[in-house]
Amino acid sequence: MKRIFLLFSAAFFFGASIPTAGADSLPDSVLNDIAQLRQMMEGLSSTVKDLKETVREQSEVIQNQTLRLQVLEGGAASAGAVSAATARAPVSAGKSQGFNPEIGVVGTVQASQTRSDEDGEGNDTIALKELELNFSSYVDPYSRLDAIIAFNDNLEEQNVDIEEAYYSHWGLPFGFRGQIGKFRSRIGKQNLQHLHALETVDYAWVIRDFFGEEGLASSGVRLAHDVPNPWDIPVSVTGEVLRGNNGTSFSGVSRRPIFNVHGNAFFEPFDNASLELGWTTLFGDENPPQFSGFDENGDPVTTAVSDGRNKYGVRVYGADTTVTWLLSENRTLKFQNELYFQRRGNLSHVNEDPWGFYSLLDFRFSRQFSTGIRFDYLEPLDVTGEHHASTAVSPYLTFWQSEFASFQVQYTHSDPASADGFSDDAVYLRANFMIGAHKHPVQS
Amino acid sequence: MKHIKILMSLFFLAALLPVRAGSLQAGDAIRIVATTTTFADLAGRIAGDRAQIYAIASPKRDLHFISVTPRDVLKLKKADVFIHGGLDLEAWRAPLVDASGRPEFLCPSGSRQIDVSAKIPLLEVPDSVSRVQGDIHAYGNPHYWLDPENGRIIARNIAEGLSRLYPEDADTFQANEKNFEAQLDQKMLEWQALLAPFKGAAVITYHRSWAYFARRFELEVAGELEPKPGIPPTARHIAELEKVMQEKRIRVVMKETYFENRSAEKIAASAGARVLNLAQAAGELKETRDYLSMLDYDVRLLAQALGEKEVSHE
Repeated sequence: MKRIFLLFSAAFFFGASIPTAGADSLPDSVLNDIAQLRQMMEGLSSTVKDLKETVREQSEVIQNQTLRLQVLEGGAASAGAVSAATARAPVSAGKSQGFNPEIGVVGTVQASQTRSDEDGEGNDTIALKELELNFSSYVDPYSRLDAIIAFNDNLEEQNVDIEEAYYSHWGLPFGFRGQIGKFRSRIGKQNLQHLHALETVDYAWVIRDFFGEEGLASSGVRLAHDVPNPWDIPVSVTGEVLRGNNGTSFSGVSRRPIFNVHGNAFFEPFDNASLELGWTTLFGDENPPQFSGFDENGDPVTTAVSDGRNKYGVRVYGADTTVTWLLSENRTLKFQNELYFQRRGNLSHVNEDPWGFYSLLDFRFSRQFSTGIRFDYLEPLDVTGEHHASTAVSPYLTFWQSEFASFQVQYTHSDPASADGFSDDAVYLRANFMIGAHKHPVQS
Repeated sequence: MKHIKILMSLFFLAALLPVRAGSLQAGDAIRIVATTTTFADLAGRIAGDRAQIYAIASPKRDLHFISVTPRDVLKLKKADVFIHGGLDLEAWRAPLVDASGRPEFLCPSGSRQIDVSAKIPLLEVPDSVSRVQGDIHAYGNPHYWLDPENGRIIARNIAEGLSRLYPEDADTFQANEKNFEAQLDQKMLEWQALLAPFKGAAVITYHRSWAYFARRFELEVAGELEPKPGIPPTARHIAELEKVMQEKRIRVVMKETYFENRSAEKIAASAGARVLNLAQAAGELKETRDYLSMLDYDVRLLAQALGEKEVSHE
């Protein structure tokens, strides 16, 4: 207001006095005052002009934001065509769309070339390894639902698999967090990751041999709890009871559950470096293998190879360590290791003491590239007699076209455990791409 | 069976321990978790001694791609207040809140969260969203704290939020906020004076993160090294930018410390320009321990570079 008043005063002064008074007849002090006022008026004019420009820009911003919100909330409404009269309906419709779950799609295409002349699935072929469709949304103020449906063209026939579908509940009594449904079991590190999120094109050999080609995911219930401690170190314990029809190490029978207890602790020994330690213990039944065939009348029959079952006869123990260094320019170095061993009878698998581990070194050395190597060591479930260990070395290079698309090449040299096997060399090419919403849960 | 009993006993023993480890801590300080060191610094100025503040994102990392750690989750579980940047600034925020199991921190409905982007006039709000446009932000450019005037709004939002949650300390929060604004006013005069001679000067930036800063100080962003937001520089785009640099006689390439230097150095060399590694967050550099010193550092470095007549390559 003060500026406007001065502006008007100056205008009035110049308008009233200058035409009626000759500049020559005015004293110097008055002329100086006039000059100062003229300067002031020019300054004020400039300020008003700037303020007008600012107001105009702000109006544009507000208008853009309003239109943007209407478009986001109203879906089909055109940004340029929204009028005050029609805005109400799309906004209302848009709000209701907020109830829809977040949807994302992740595709993984993989090609491989091996020395093996077997016609095994995955040898010398290209396949849509997986198309993952994920939905997630809050159910109510206390819980959320996450579902991941996987389609694949990789096996002998196309199939659809419920990879995960679980309901999470917060704020259970005594500070527990709970999940029910089908989920990837809390075993070490890799088993929690989906295929496309792995640094390598496949899961580590020990994971595949002990828990299945894509790890252990099963229906069940999970409870997790933090362990308070005076050092304020993040320590958590997770317990799971899983349906027994998954996991190659166990009975394969639904009614014989698998129990899992996992503990992990997180340390930050140095600036920009972290160490995560975990321990996994699984128990389950071991059933005798079953033989399916035909009797003398040609009728199908299933018979157990041996009698009885070994209740809780399979015990799997595991340890994992992950060291992560955050380097400058967004570079990251990660060293991840998991080791598993079993104590079991030999009802269904001949090796009573299978064990194995992997070590993974991954270096994200730029925004666009990461490289690494994985070493696998495995004495598998089904190796017989005197044997060596299966080993594999897998270096890889990944190119990140963007946050949403990546391409990878991996070479794997493997030596089998059994004497009658042969070494193999394989090259894999993998492409990952994702659209829509995609958020990996944070592991705590 | 014995092993199972032991393990299950250990597991359920955890339930008998205090539900929240926070109860082990003495005192009644407000435990604030902020997503960035910048918001943490501003929260600290306003809450003063009343708060213990923890920042999640390292100031030396790209804020869009933070890997949340178990420590971050634990801190949020025990927090009283969660301060964040709203919009879609922190893509990792929702999974973090989910992992914490604290729905009161969910945006926008959570009662104990403070969205500091409220009331900020946003720039570059897209008319439509598609990944063809790169990693664009649906609600507008989220790097708003680089305009000091938006720092004022952020501080007010924090003060309002804390006053709502802790009305008994509202006077202290408001007084601290006014004190911050007074400091900001003083610095603004300095910064505007420093950059006034370069009004309208064209600059190149690495990421589309300097829009608010450029607008405040009336600079022209003539292009970004990223061909589209979040898409790494390509050879063709760099060649195009080199032409722009030469045509407009651009002297400065502004980039964040965590982006690679090679591309920036390349285009700078083509036009005899200088690459400036500017801070985006409090604590990113040793000279930028807080929000005001961060802006101070950026403004002074930029003014110095724009004022250089003969540019020497670093």
